[in-house]
Amino acid sequence: MEITLVQGLLLSLLAFICSLDQQAEVFLIFRPIVVCFFSGIILGDVQLGLSAGAVAELAYLGLLTIGGTVPPNPLIAGIMTVVISYTSGVSAEAALGLSLPFALLGQWIGMILSTVYSGLMPIADRICERGDVAALGRLVILSAIGKSLVTAVIIFLSAYLIQEPITALVEKFPEWLIHGFRVAGNLLPGVGLALLLKVMLKIDNVAYLFIGFLIATYIEMGNVLPIAILAVCITFLSYINSRDQKAYDGGVDDDGI
Amino acid sequence: MTVSRNKLTKKDITNMGWLSMVLQFGFNYERMQAMGFCYTMAPYFKKIYGDNTEEVAAAMTNNIDFFNTEMHMATFLNGLILSLEEAGEDRELIRNIKNGLFGPLAGLGDAIFWFTLLPISAAIAVSLNRQNSILGPIVFMVIHFFGAISRIPLGHLGYNLGTNAIDLIRENAASITKAAGVLGVMVVGALIPSYIDFSFPETFVIFDVVPVQGIFDTVLPNILPLGFVLFLYYLVSKKNVNAVKLIFGIIVVSIILSYFGIM
Repeated sequence: MEITLVQGLLLSLLAFICSLDQQAEVFLIFRPIVVCFFSGIILGDVQLGLSAGAVAELAYLGLLTIGGTVPPNPLIAGIMTVVISYTSGVSAEAALGLSLPFALLGQWIGMILSTVYSGLMPIADRICERGDVAALGRLVILSAIGKSLVTAVIIFLSAYLIQEPITALVEKFPEWLIHGFRVAGNLLPGVGLALLLKVMLKIDNVAYLFIGFLIATYIEMGNVLPIAILAVCITFLSYINSRDQKAYDGGVDDDGI
Repeated sequence: MTVSRNKLTKKDITNMGWLSMVLQFGFNYERMQAMGFCYTMAPYFKKIYGDNTEEVAAAMTNNIDFFNTEMHMATFLNGLILSLEEAGEDRELIRNIKNGLFGPLAGLGDAIFWFTLLPISAAIAVSLNRQNSILGPIVFMVIHFFGAISRIPLGHLGYNLGTNAIDLIRENAASITKAAGVLGVMVVGALIPSYIDFSFPETFVIFDVVPVQGIFDTVLPNILPLGFVLFLYYLVSKKNVNAVKLIFGIIVVSIILSYFGIM
């Protein structure tokens, strides 16, 4: 289906607002699960927004901006997954793979802007030397608006202006290619999980990975909350144990043994 | 000459907590969060020193160098630095405390908010989405609204602890990070079978009759998704393959397998 001018403008407004949050990383409304939902509302297909949100969120789960690294842009990936699925009729899983070039474009532009913004630091230095609080505030706000405007323009161009060539291209794809993208969409959450494990997995907690896996494999559960609660119980127990152990060791020392 | 200093109120620290949400505005590779970090405190430096612009400028200049930590922890540090500034501590000391703490605090904050709260909330929201419930995105937003405003009590904590904060962090950072690790790893383990669909179609058989997927299911259900994640983990952590290459690789291999009818 086609995206109207009004829908295109609303999508880029959504991108503008969410991009402010993406820079700040405060309310997390830039995560695919939220932007896909709102994109779905704008396009009048909430169902699509929900299913796209589920696949895109999982694929981008471990792709975090920790320590200043910039991953493919999850906000742009979220909006474009919904847009591509809506305009060309492919499933959300297949659209996720097709949204990757846009997410990468967002990543590169983000890196360029963060490099260019280094040029603001001498200005900030001079403001600080003057002790001008209001001027520093203006610099901070304007630089954030600048980055958000760029994201809004990218979304307007990709979602509205070039939707026809994209749709025409996707419609020419043979069935096996679309199916291949869908298979990839089902596998991509693995990347996010592997990246989370890269930072979290240690020899002392590797057993918990398998405990979580086995419970989820053999017990049918609506969501993962029960396992999270179980994990909290386990960490609490081990904290109590180590505290008691410490008290016990301390007691021995007091007795002078 | 002694410098006169005004006291900050509880309300000031709360407002500072809200303002600290701009931490990453103006982010750049040269000094990362420096601009937002400095601006969060600037209005309160002004409140402390009043019309004494020289002192305001000195306090601002002291906080505009390289800075990068987890966002909630930055608010904690903002509170801590304001209490030190208000007490008239030496600026060199303030600078050293700031530079010494932002690294360990980043590890602590990442473990709690980004490797534990985010995956768990995303997992819950995704499962709701899959039941076609609009509660998915709503629950996600509610959880992270509370996550976002939790920086305000953290700002108060930093302000109230003052210099005591340093010992507290040293004693507890390691054990909290470890506990968050257990929680996060167990949830990731549980996500593997639910969210990765790695299975061969029934039409893919060997010896003309034996479906390949059936063999794997007999050994251990979901063994393929588990093996797949462990393989990716091996690639990212031992071989340092970057995420973008991995994503491209998965798409290319999926398309090839699809072409040959294997998946």
